[in-house]
Amino acid sequence: MKNNKQIKVIITKVGLDGHDRGAKIVVSLLKEAGMEVVYLGMFNQVEDIIQAVVDEDADVLGLSYLSGEQLIFTPKIVKEMKKNELNDVLLIVGGTIPVEDIPLLEEMGVERVFRAGSLSGEFIEYIEKNIKK
Amino acid sequence: MSQIKEIKTDDAKTEEKDWEEYLKGYYEKPNSFKTWSGLDTNGIYTPKDFDQEKHYQEKVNDAGQYPYTRGIHANMFRGRLWTKREVVGIGSPADTHARLKYLAEQGGTGLNTIADVTYEMGLDADHPWALNEVGLTGVNITNIKDMETLTKDIPLDKVSWSLITAAPSATATMAQYIAVAQGAGYDISKLRGSVQNDPLHFGYCGFKPASPLDLSLKLGCDIMEYCTMNMPKWYYTTVNMYDLREQGITAVQEVAYGFGIAMCYIDELVRRGLHVDQFGPRFSFYVACHIDIFEEVAKIRAARRMWAKFMKEKYGATKPNAMHFRFAVHTSGCSLVPQQPLNNLIRVAYQALSAVLGGVQSLHCCSYDEPICLPTESSHLQALRTQQVLAYETGVTNVADPLGGSYYVESLTDKIEKKIEEVMAEIDSVGGMYEAIRTEWLDRKLEDEALLRQKEIENGEKLVVGVNIFKSAMEKKTPLGVQRVASESGLQQINDVKEQKRLRNWDKLMITMRKLRDDAVAGKNTLPSMIEATKANATTGEMVGTVREVHGYHYDPMEMINSPFHFS
Repeated sequence: MKNNKQIKVIITKVGLDGHDRGAKIVVSLLKEAGMEVVYLGMFNQVEDIIQAVVDEDADVLGLSYLSGEQLIFTPKIVKEMKKNELNDVLLIVGGTIPVEDIPLLEEMGVERVFRAGSLSGEFIEYIEKNIKK
Repeated sequence: MSQIKEIKTDDAKTEEKDWEEYLKGYYEKPNSFKTWSGLDTNGIYTPKDFDQEKHYQEKVNDAGQYPYTRGIHANMFRGRLWTKREVVGIGSPADTHARLKYLAEQGGTGLNTIADVTYEMGLDADHPWALNEVGLTGVNITNIKDMETLTKDIPLDKVSWSLITAAPSATATMAQYIAVAQGAGYDISKLRGSVQNDPLHFGYCGFKPASPLDLSLKLGCDIMEYCTMNMPKWYYTTVNMYDLREQGITAVQEVAYGFGIAMCYIDELVRRGLHVDQFGPRFSFYVACHIDIFEEVAKIRAARRMWAKFMKEKYGATKPNAMHFRFAVHTSGCSLVPQQPLNNLIRVAYQALSAVLGGVQSLHCCSYDEPICLPTESSHLQALRTQQVLAYETGVTNVADPLGGSYYVESLTDKIEKKIEEVMAEIDSVGGMYEAIRTEWLDRKLEDEALLRQKEIENGEKLVVGVNIFKSAMEKKTPLGVQRVASESGLQQINDVKEQKRLRNWDKLMITMRKLRDDAVAGKNTLPSMIEATKANATTGEMVGTVREVHGYHYDPMEMINSPFHFS
């Protein structure tokens, strides 16, 4: 847990997925909750995302998927996070994720999945309680 | 003994308390009296709210009579049912073809295919960015062979086909469809269908790098002009109010923004020398139906009346069908949630009802798994069955505009019309819709509204069952299974595209590509030369990229690959 230091979150879309309404709403709500949020926007490949996490020294990385690419990109991101020793970054996923994929994502190393329809109270509290730095 | 008795007493007490808790809803009242878009309502509406005698002829009139508030046809569904047109796009062209055929066999009456994100961006399947994405959200069509596979054995002169794609790759899509039809010997003037050619809105679907405004408008209007001259049965644009609405805006904004965009196209077509009576009859819209039944019906009625007035008074239309607001409906995807997913079937059914009560021409019902994955075969079928129950069992098709004359619906129609006018005046004040988009005025509006909608749910002002009321534990599995796109499907498509590129006759290709480039440089309509280039096996990315370069943009929207053509 942090000692009163502002929590820093990176929210990003991955690949070509253009559905960014949810990601942008999450960014606004996290900011209102007092967190520092860097939104990487659309069209990021794995290496862009990892670079941003390193550069920003983020506490949390949030991946937004609405085009069914969660099982394709997440393992690549997890692999790169491990390679870059980013084990203390809390990795969360949001979007249109089938319940069947949640255990698969958790097994890969995602700490928590927030499906569409999640309320901000849930993910704000989760982040505050679970950041690792 | 006494111990047992005591326990029993406690049990009884608990039970008593629970029942009170369970049934406290007995006296409950609705939590809000506003429409979904936030308009106030009265408890009851009376003749004071709508004077039939005074206003009927002028503001409402019979279906089929100006200003068409009650419907564009006098007999509405008695003349023809709406088209049951479920969107299909999954995996390879062959996979998509198979699903299309399946739905047609189950009673679907219109074909409807959606491009995947690579195709919408104008990227060929062998583009480096396409590797993990081909076929995930729709179908990738890179070359003529793909379009042949998609349309295989389908009589293109008999069916009505809706091509959902983005700008500016829509021009390639249209070229591919026409090239295949001509190759199979069809007279293209007989082709029936539509292309979702709404070039100005695609920046809001995540395609900004692929859709520079000036180029999108130019290529989009090339389609509109070409179809007006050569394909009289083809709807060359469906202005996509739906996509805008899904960003979180209100019913009022949906119509106002959509009209603002539509007018940009009309102005351009008029500038190109066409008369509104020539192209007006094939102008169409894609409308959202969200969950507030009466508001959606009133919105559609207001849109119909306003559009007729614009076309007649502002643009000088004289033909009745140039004044018609024709529209397809997509039930609201963003209103559906993965929590208690079967509830979505109910939501979709209500939304479909509002579309039909509003006099829809063509309908796509979302499958219940919209917020989970692409539709499975079963969920797709269920969405089609939702339409069929509505069409064949409920009696809603008997009477045109059955809500017409309702004091509430007429009053709400008037109110929404007035509100739409206010938003349109706001758009005028920033210089019209093209400017509103160019300056990102619209981006800010959409973002602000999206956040407001979420907060309405967060603070309980809007209730969504399973989300902020009547919540339950997460379900263990998706009821009808999960649709996956096999990675082999995408890889096969990528390999096929590479093979096609290797096999083609480069000299023939160069002749057509040079012609396309020359036409683009000369500012001519690019569709005829794209049709010829498609026949010479030019690809989506190559055709769009070549025109991009002429307009001063990088050949590749992702700025990774360069043009393979050397024109000088």
